Amino acid sequence: MLGNLIGVLFDGIAYGSLLFIISIGLSVTMGLMNFVNLAHGAFAMLGGYSCVIAMTRLGLPFLASLPVAFVVSALAGVVLERLLYRRLYRATHLDQVLFSIGLIFMAIAGATWLFGSQQQPVRLPDFLRGQVRVLGLDFGAYRLFLIVVVVAITLALTWLIERTRFGAEVRASVDNQQASAGLGINVERVFSLTFALGSGLAGLGGGLGIDVLGLDPTFPLKYMVYFLLVVAVGGAGTIKGPLFAALILGVFDVAGKYYVPQLGSFVIYVVMVAMLLVFPQGLVGRRA
Amino acid sequence: MAKLLSAERLTAGYGDSIVLEDVSFEVDAGGSLALLGRNGVGKTTLLLTLMGLTRLKSGNLSWEGADIVRLPTFRRAQAGLGWVPQERFMFPSLTVEEHLSVVARPGPWSIARVYQYFPKLEERKQNLGNQLSGGEQQMLAIARALMTNPKLLLLDEPMEGLAPIIVQELLKVIGELVRAGEFAVIVVEQHARLALTLTREAIVLDRGQVVHRSASEELLKHPETLDRLVAVA
Ligand SMILES: Nc1ncnc2c1ncn2[C@@H]1O[C@H](COP(=O)(O)OP(=O)(O)O)[C@@H](O)[C@H]1O
Ligand SMILES: [Mg+2]
Repeated sequence: MLGNLIGVLFDGIAYGSLLFIISIGLSVTMGLMNFVNLAHGAFAMLGGYSCVIAMTRLGLPFLASLPVAFVVSALAGVVLERLLYRRLYRATHLDQVLFSIGLIFMAIAGATWLFGSQQQPVRLPDFLRGQVRVLGLDFGAYRLFLIVVVVAITLALTWLIERTRFGAEVRASVDNQQASAGLGINVERVFSLTFALGSGLAGLGGGLGIDVLGLDPTFPLKYMVYFLLVVAVGGAGTIKGPLFAALILGVFDVAGKYYVPQLGSFVIYVVMVAMLLVFPQGLVGRRA
Repeated sequence: MAKLLSAERLTAGYGDSIVLEDVSFEVDAGGSLALLGRNGVGKTTLLLTLMGLTRLKSGNLSWEGADIVRLPTFRRAQAGLGWVPQERFMFPSLTVEEHLSVVARPGPWSIARVYQYFPKLEERKQNLGNQLSGGEQQMLAIARALMTNPKLLLLDEPMEGLAPIIVQELLKVIGELVRAGEFAVIVVEQHARLALTLTREAIVLDRGQVVHRSASEELLKHPETLDRLVAVA
């Protein structure tokens, strides 16, 4: 029983870590740039397919295909931001929602046409398969790997945002676009790069997630609610908030499906509603 | 002296409303201009127009001889326009020191030099932008503009809402900066006499138009003219 509990907790944390990597970019565009980008999951899916193509067509090993997933999704992010998203920064939220839902359906249709509707397989390297025995308990090697990757990414992101000039430019641009531009900060470029970074991380998460979340053309729609919940519950403008929200969401989702499978996803909706009632501004509000 | 900024017949406003009409003036490198007028006559709008933050309907704006009408705001700042906004616009997510480093451009002004002029800011360097008193915010707004190493400093009511003792302190620093002639300056001020003692040239706006221009000294010598032009009716 205790072993089960620890196992569920561990799986939930690994699952939440994935949700965090995919959602952190959405937290930036939605929370900071005030853009409701429902199509964020499409960038994760693009990363997933990039990963699969890199492995099956280019023959790259799994670990080497992850940076490919990041770069492809980041580039797609830059291009779409320049061509489409930028035009809608000042649009109403309804327009943004309609626009990004349109993008989701285009992504689903495009992926179905290119890759078919079946689940994509992923070949993990041997050392990431099987179990690792720690203190008499078995842990999935891949889930352990996910947690390590997310810890590394969280530290790197925190450093980037809190310690570099680029990070300060992002925060200044978000605080006050007009003042930032009036003092020489290229706000458009800052937002483009931020959007690219968020899309790239989603792509990386999509690649990392094939083994856990699966990958088929309905991916952006299937997980949309999860990404939105992470942002809504985590609060905007910090890294910590979405991280905690994603971990809590992951643990409750896994636990709910393990202990009360007949309720399905209902458990997390209840948990999330409760958390929003207790923390209406999100877990960690913006520094204000 | 070389023309730094030259504004010719600027007509500008917000959306469809026109605030400034036919405003012309020039600033030399190292020069100083007082921009006076009652509340609401368009002084802030004029500075915003220089920064490219209003809608310019007609007129020419040139900077070191080149047309900048279509230059985006951040490029104007990079070219040497150092904006100190009336609202101060602190960044709540940045520390005092980050306010300085995030806009820093190469030139004589460094964080160390800014701290020499404003030692209070060094004491507060770890504080966030919204944890400062009004006087500290104003000092930071000026220090931040200096860090861009401007050729022309745009000061929009730097003394507004500050306690007299802080006004004295700030006045001393601004006076030193202006007299050193390292950069040109446009000073907008409700306290007209303060602005006039700091500057060589002056223009007075009324309802969006230039109604007087002369040497600052000239206006100081004729208080009755000054009162007629700027005193609250
Ligand atoms: N953002 C804005 N949108 C529309 N009108 C504005 C805006 N800002 C200022 N105004 C109007 O422009 C006029 C001049 O304002 P302003 O330039 O702030 O005057 P001053 O700085 O001389 O007090 C005022 O009538 C004011 O109501
Ligand atoms: Mg004003």
